[in-house]
Amino acid sequence: MAKHGFGHNSPGGLLRYPEEPPFPLKEYSAHYDHIFEMMEELEAKGEILIHRITEEHQPVEVFTRTGRIKTIPTNKLWHHKSCGQCGNIPGYPASVFWFMNKFGLDYLNEPHQTSCTAWNYHGSGTSNPVALAAVWLRNMHQAWKTGYYPLIHCGTSFGSYKETREQLIMNKELRDAVKPILKKLGRLTEDGRIVIPQEVVHYSEWVHAMRYKIADLYQKEGKAKGIDVSNVRVAIHNACHTYKMIADDYPYDPEVYNGQRPAASTAVVKALGAQVVDYSTWYDCCGFGFRHILTEREFTRSFAIQRKLKVIAEEVKADLIVTHDTGCTTTFEKNQWIGKAHGMYHPVAVMSDVMFAALACGAHPFKIVQLYWNCSNYEPLLEKMGITNWRELRKEWEDTVKYIADLEKAGKYDELMEFFKEYDLYEPYSRTSTGKPKASATANMPLFKS
Amino acid sequence: MDGHIYGYNLPISEKTKAVPWEEKVRIVEEVKSDFRYKEYIFGCLNCGVCTASCPSNRFFDYSPREIVQRFLEEDVEVLYDMMHEYIWACSQCFTCWIRCPFVNNPGGLVAIMREVAVRNAFEATKDLLKPYGRVLLKVMTTGNQLSADMLQPDFFPDWGPKMADNMENLRAKRLAIPFDVGKSVKTAWEVSLETAVEMYTIWRETGIFEMLEKLDPNLYNVIMDIVEENEERYEELYEEEE
Ligand code: SF4
Ligand code: SF4
Repeated sequence: MAKHGFGHNSPGGLLRYPEEPPFPLKEYSAHYDHIFEMMEELEAKGEILIHRITEEHQPVEVFTRTGRIKTIPTNKLWHHKSCGQCGNIPGYPASVFWFMNKFGLDYLNEPHQTSCTAWNYHGSGTSNPVALAAVWLRNMHQAWKTGYYPLIHCGTSFGSYKETREQLIMNKELRDAVKPILKKLGRLTEDGRIVIPQEVVHYSEWVHAMRYKIADLYQKEGKAKGIDVSNVRVAIHNACHTYKMIADDYPYDPEVYNGQRPAASTAVVKALGAQVVDYSTWYDCCGFGFRHILTEREFTRSFAIQRKLKVIAEEVKADLIVTHDTGCTTTFEKNQWIGKAHGMYHPVAVMSDVMFAALACGAHPFKIVQLYWNCSNYEPLLEKMGITNWRELRKEWEDTVKYIADLEKAGKYDELMEFFKEYDLYEPYSRTSTGKPKASATANMPLFKS
Repeated sequence: MDGHIYGYNLPISEKTKAVPWEEKVRIVEEVKSDFRYKEYIFGCLNCGVCTASCPSNRFFDYSPREIVQRFLEEDVEVLYDMMHEYIWACSQCFTCWIRCPFVNNPGGLVAIMREVAVRNAFEATKDLLKPYGRVLLKVMTTGNQLSADMLQPDFFPDWGPKMADNMENLRAKRLAIPFDVGKSVKTAWEVSLETAVEMYTIWRETGIFEMLEKLDPNLYNVIMDIVEENEERYEELYEEEE
């Protein structure tokens, strides 16, 4: 195995280091790096095919914790959605799509995707590494087949996929176990290879890479609407599964705490000109716990309130907690109100980096950012940002919901479809990649049934 | 002996005491034979940094340091005992992993231990996972783990009054999202039938259905009904094409 260091490039160009460390480094040799060279070796041997990031993906370079150059594709992306976000915080993916439309980027969002199933694994133990690898490779093959590069929305999927990739590259026994399953599924290349993406990329890395463009949009469109975030105090919460799982592979940047803390989310908040406020328990997890949020809620509540919400309120009086994962957003969001019972109510708005950025750039707080779903106190934040007409905007949203409900109740599907043609920002249900009838696994939507 | 001289400060349970020694050795060996084991444990200073930063340690009688130490000591009795309830306290946050000076991964060890406990149908596992049934049903049949209809305010009264508001007119609210995400109610996104059927093949080939059958036969039957129905639908729809 080659020795790595600054100025080092692997033969296939997957592993790259700048000439000089971009910020003071605590760890010079990343334990993760060798997998890039091993991927190149496996590709040369004909075992795997690397789904490469090319010019059409409009790549942006960022640094990881050890100073490695990580390539973030920003265009032609295949959306690997998060079940938690779509199911529970729909404004989260909607804000990602809204930005992609605004920037005129090409993307594909199709129904041929499963969850990573890692939430289930971490919560219940009812899976195993072969199944997790098969699920990952199946989804990655689907992305590759469509010609779009996978963008992972969920923090846990991102962490789990990074780990799975390392396990696959390092363990022939795992590759041998998963290959026959992929063959059965038709998920190998024509010459029998496994498809592995060059980089596993989280949406927060995309936001990080796009931060200056987002800041421009804020100047151009948000400010024009009277929105101003310069007085907003933001406490950042980084998700454990994005930066503690396979810790070497997440963006760090000289502009964010001199490279000593994860950069994504903090960097976009800074680029927008909001105030990042530091607090002593930034390092702690949120208390989600996977099974705990469902079945040991007293743990989740206690941890979220005592270690995070209370600390953030007392130390820095933030207007907003910015997150980048479903579990953390849900945990902070939903575990505030109960604190009232013990005199520990510290109301603060909670949302993801991309939701806050969309608001700053003038996105509709309810139609796009879907704040309607949030349980936290987002209203004072909207006022402070200068979105003082939020009541009218909410009324407009509620009227739309009522209109849709009434039409559906009356069975007026044709009228509804007409309405959606104008209303939808992403041609509904038209862009699937297989050409097969779009049969659903749950068939619970007569309106859109194929 | 109650507890353990090295510090596992819970009494060894009667359940563990009653199990033959060979069986306890077999289970611990099953954990150690997992290919990840050698990637998750190297050496241990006994420094306690993992435990000091562990969220679960703050609210439960639980210590990742203890787990690492017991593996290095090959303390079969304690390790087997931990596999009843102890390991389920872990939040799987992996703070221990990033902070350990030896790059040990106690959270990863817990994942292997949980998997072995489930595969061997430990009684505690069955009880602990009962409330998790809704997630299992969803993930096994649709490949989605969470959906809008799972957030019933009745289940989450502690989440406050805005929750009840969220669930009113749920379907219309979902349809009113102007992107093709989250428009469905029973799944996070509308999962295509062929995708779900691929998922069932993965569960079958990797022994996950078997795991579930041992864990909760009733849930398993409900799941298999849906799986078989979807597989039949898939064949009817696509037979001629393929
Ligand atoms: S992964 Fe588990 S053991 Fe490790 S710090 Fe988190 S809760 Fe503690
Ligand atoms: S942090 Fe690492 S070395 Fe220290 S007690 Fe925990 S496992 Fe052992």
